[in-house]
Amino acid sequence: MLRRAWQELRIIARDPILLALIVAIMAALVVFVVWPLARVLVTAFQAPDGSFSLANFELLGQRRLYRNALRNSLVVGGLVGLVGVAIGYIAAFVLTRTNVPFKRVLHTLVMLPIISPPFAGAISILFLFGFNGLVTRQLLGLTNFSIYGMHGVVLSQVFTFAPIAYLNLRGVLAGLNPTLEDAALNVGASRWQVFWRVIFPLSLPGVASAFLVVLIESMADFGNPLVLGGAAFPMLATQAYLEITGSFNLARGAMLAGVLLLPSITAFAIQRYYLAKRQYVTVTGKPTASTSKIVSPGAKWLLYAVVVAFAVVVIAFYAVILLGALTRVWGFDYTPDLRHFRYVFAVGWETVKDTLVVAVLTTPVSGLLGMLIAFIVVRKRFPGRASLEFMSILNFAVPGTVAGIGYILAFNGPPLILTGTLAILVLNFVFRYVPVGIQSGIAVLRQIDPAIEEAAQNLGANAITTFRRITLPLIAPAFFSGLVFAFVRAMTAISAAIFLVSANWNLMTVQILNEVGSGRLGVAAAYSIVLLAIVLVAFGVINLIVGRGAEDATSVRF
Amino acid sequence: MRFRSIFIALLAAALLGLAAAQTLTVYSSVDEENARHILEAFTADTGVQVQMVFLSAGPALSRIEAEKNRPQADVWFGAPSENHIIAKDRGLTQPYVSANAAALPDSFKDAEGYWHAIYTNPLAIGVRTDILESRGAAVPTSWADLLDPSYKGLIQMPSPQSSGTSYNFILTVATVMGEDAAFDYMKALNANVQTYTQSGTAPSGALGVGETAVAIQFSPGFLKLIDQGFPAQIVFPSEGVGYEVAAMSILKGATNLGGAQELVDWMTSEKGQAALSAQKTYFMPIRADVSAGPGVPSLADIQLVSWDPGYAADNRQRLVDRWVEEVLGQ
Repeated sequence: MLRRAWQELRIIARDPILLALIVAIMAALVVFVVWPLARVLVTAFQAPDGSFSLANFELLGQRRLYRNALRNSLVVGGLVGLVGVAIGYIAAFVLTRTNVPFKRVLHTLVMLPIISPPFAGAISILFLFGFNGLVTRQLLGLTNFSIYGMHGVVLSQVFTFAPIAYLNLRGVLAGLNPTLEDAALNVGASRWQVFWRVIFPLSLPGVASAFLVVLIESMADFGNPLVLGGAAFPMLATQAYLEITGSFNLARGAMLAGVLLLPSITAFAIQRYYLAKRQYVTVTGKPTASTSKIVSPGAKWLLYAVVVAFAVVVIAFYAVILLGALTRVWGFDYTPDLRHFRYVFAVGWETVKDTLVVAVLTTPVSGLLGMLIAFIVVRKRFPGRASLEFMSILNFAVPGTVAGIGYILAFNGPPLILTGTLAILVLNFVFRYVPVGIQSGIAVLRQIDPAIEEAAQNLGANAITTFRRITLPLIAPAFFSGLVFAFVRAMTAISAAIFLVSANWNLMTVQILNEVGSGRLGVAAAYSIVLLAIVLVAFGVINLIVGRGAEDATSVRF
Repeated sequence: MRFRSIFIALLAAALLGLAAAQTLTVYSSVDEENARHILEAFTADTGVQVQMVFLSAGPALSRIEAEKNRPQADVWFGAPSENHIIAKDRGLTQPYVSANAAALPDSFKDAEGYWHAIYTNPLAIGVRTDILESRGAAVPTSWADLLDPSYKGLIQMPSPQSSGTSYNFILTVATVMGEDAAFDYMKALNANVQTYTQSGTAPSGALGVGETAVAIQFSPGFLKLIDQGFPAQIVFPSEGVGYEVAAMSILKGATNLGGAQELVDWMTSEKGQAALSAQKTYFMPIRADVSAGPGVPSLADIQLVSWDPGYAADNRQRLVDRWVEEVLGQ
C-alpha cells in the first residue's frame, strides 16, 4: 500500500507542474470545503463559553417543535421526491423515446424552473392560489382556502425540483438501447410486460438516484417553506435558518444544520457509492434512433398530456410573475404600471451589477477547476486521489445554509479574513458548484481513450499543454454544462449567499427574499424577471463562446 | 436654491477633505425604502456619503456578532432598543453621548450613550374593512377579539424567531395579561393565524395585496396603506399596546467614527427628527418639539403599555424559546 503510494508519487514528481497543481488543489479543497464544515460541527458542540457541550443536541429530544420539523422535512422530501420523479420520468420518457410534436419547446419549458430565481414558484403560487389569489379567490370565489401548509410547500417544491429529476432521468432513458425493447416484443411480451420487466428495472438505479437528488434539494430548501409553510407547519431548514439569522443562536443553528446534514449525506452516499455502481449501460456504440414501441397511441398521448400540462403550469407561473411585476398591486389594483421595474433599476441597480460580477467571475473559474479536477482524478494516479475526489464533491450534499454559516465562522478572523469581500462570495460559489462540472467531466473523460493524451505526451507536451490542447476540446460539452450550471447557480443561489453579502457586494436573490419578506411581491416579481432575462442572455453568450469550441471537438475522430 | 445647497455641500466636502470622502457604512434594520429616504436627507444635510445594507434586526445582530473581530459597518441603524442593549452587553458597540440627547426621555437613550433612539411606533392591528365586511366579521377592537373564530386563518403576524416587532407583541400581551395567561392567549390565537412572517413589516404588505384580512405590526405600515387609499383601518387594541423605540448604535471598531457620530447628532436633532415626517415615513418623532405631521396619531391618544427594557433584553431568549415550544410546537 505504502509502496504503491511512493511509486505513484515518484511518477507524479517527474512532472513538477502537475505535482504543484495537485498540491494546490488539495490545499484549496481543505481550506474552502473541509475547514468551514468542520467549524460548523465544532460550533454545534460548543457551549456559549466555548467548552464542549451536548446541550444543543439535547434540545432535539426536548423540543417537540424540532421533532415535528424533522418529521415534516422528511415527509415533504419523500413526497416531493416521489411526485417529482414521476413527473420527471414521464417527461423524460415522452421527450426522448416517443415521436411527439414540439419536443424542443417542451424540453425548454420543463427545464425553465431550474434556471429561475428562488421563490419564483412561491411568488406565483401566492399570486394564483393565495387568500386573494387569481384562481382561488377571483375565479373560483373560494373564501376559506388556505395555501399555507404542507400542500403549498409540496406544490412549489414539485414545481421547482421536478425539472431536476427530469434532467437526471433524461440521460438514463436516452441511454437505454431500443434493441432490448424490440427483442422483448419479438419474443411475445406485451407492452406493459416490456415496460415493467425490461425498461423500468433498467432505469431503476437512475430513478432512485433522481429521487435522492430531489430529496436532498427539498430538505435543504428553506425559501419555499419560509413563504408557504404557514403557522402550523415548521420545517428543519427553515428552523435552522431562523435560529441563525433570527434568534442570534449560531450554535443551535449549527446543530440543526448538523441534523439536516445527516439525511442529506446519507442520501448522497447511497446515491454515489451504491447506486452509481448499478447504472446499467446498454449503449455499445452510438445511440440509435430510439422511438419506443411499447406505448400504444392512447397511452402515448395520455403521457404527452401530462408533460403538456406541466409545461402549461410553467407558462402560467411565469406569465403570472410577469403580470405581477407589471401591475400596480396584484389582487387589488390591476392597472398596468412599470413602477416595480423602476424601483428595481433605481434602488437595486447596484445589486444587479454586483450579482453579474459575482456570476461572471464564478463561471469560468468553476468551469475550469471542474474540468481540471476531473482530468486529474480520472487520468492521474497519486496518493490521496480518492480523498481529493471526495472533498471536491462533498459540498454537493451540504445544505447551503450550512455552507454559508461555515464560511462566516471560518473566514472572519486570522489567518484568512474574507468577510465583506467579493472573494468570499466567489469562493463559496466556486467550491459549491464545481461538483457538477467535475461529475460530468469525469463521465465524459472515462469514455475518451487515454491513448490520445498519451500520444500528445509522447510528442513532448507536458500535462498542462495536454490538458489544454487535447483534453479540454474533447470534453467541451461537459465543460459547457459545468459553466452553465455554475452561472445559473451563482445567479440564483440564496441559502449560502444570504450570510455572505455585504454593503459592497449584495445579490439580487437576497434582495428578492427581502422584498418577499417585506410583502412587496410586485417588486420581488420584477427582480425575478430581470434575473431570468440575464440568465437567458448569458445562456446564449456561453453557448456562442463554448459552442464554437465544441464544434471543433467533433472534428477530432478516434 | 438647489444648486446653492449642492455647492455648499461640495464646499463642505472639500473642506472636510478625507473625512467626508470616506463613506459611512450602515447596517439598516429600518425598512429599505424609509431608511433610504432618511439617510438621503442626512447626506443632503451633512454631505456624509452613506452606504447601506438592509438587514432585519435578527440577521443584523448575528452578522455584527460574527464580524466583531473585523467590523464591516460603522453604524447599526434601526431595530428596537432591546437589540441595542444586547449589542451593548455583548460588547459590540461603543459609547458616544450626543449633545442633543440631553432633552430626550430615558426610554429614548442609553445613559452611557451606547445607543440613541431614532423614532418610536406603537403596535397596532390593521384590517381590510372590505374583506371583513364581505365575510360578515366585525372589526376587532381588542386583543381578546382576535380569538374570535370568524378570524380563522385571516391573521398575519411576524414570527418572534426573526422579528423584533413580534417580540414586542409578546411583551405587550404578557404585560397586559400576565405571562402564563399571555401564552394561553397566543396558543389560542395560533389557530387564527395564517402565517408567521419573517419580517416585521410583511403583514401590512400582505394586507395591501389582500392576502390577509387582519395584520399585527407597528403602525406606520398601516398608516401608509390608509394614506394610499386602501380600504384599511388601524386599531389600537383597548387593553393597551407596546411601542417600539428604534435605536442606533455606533459599532465598536467603526472605521468612520466621525461620520457615525455625525449621524447620531443629526438624527437626534430637530432637523433630523423633522425629516421623519417630511419624508413620509409615518414614524413618530422622539422629540417633543417636533410634530409627527398630519395623519399620524399622537402618542397621547393611545393606551400605551411599557416595560423595563432590561427585563425585555434579559428574557428575550427565554420568552422566544417558550413561544417556539408552546405556540409553534403545540
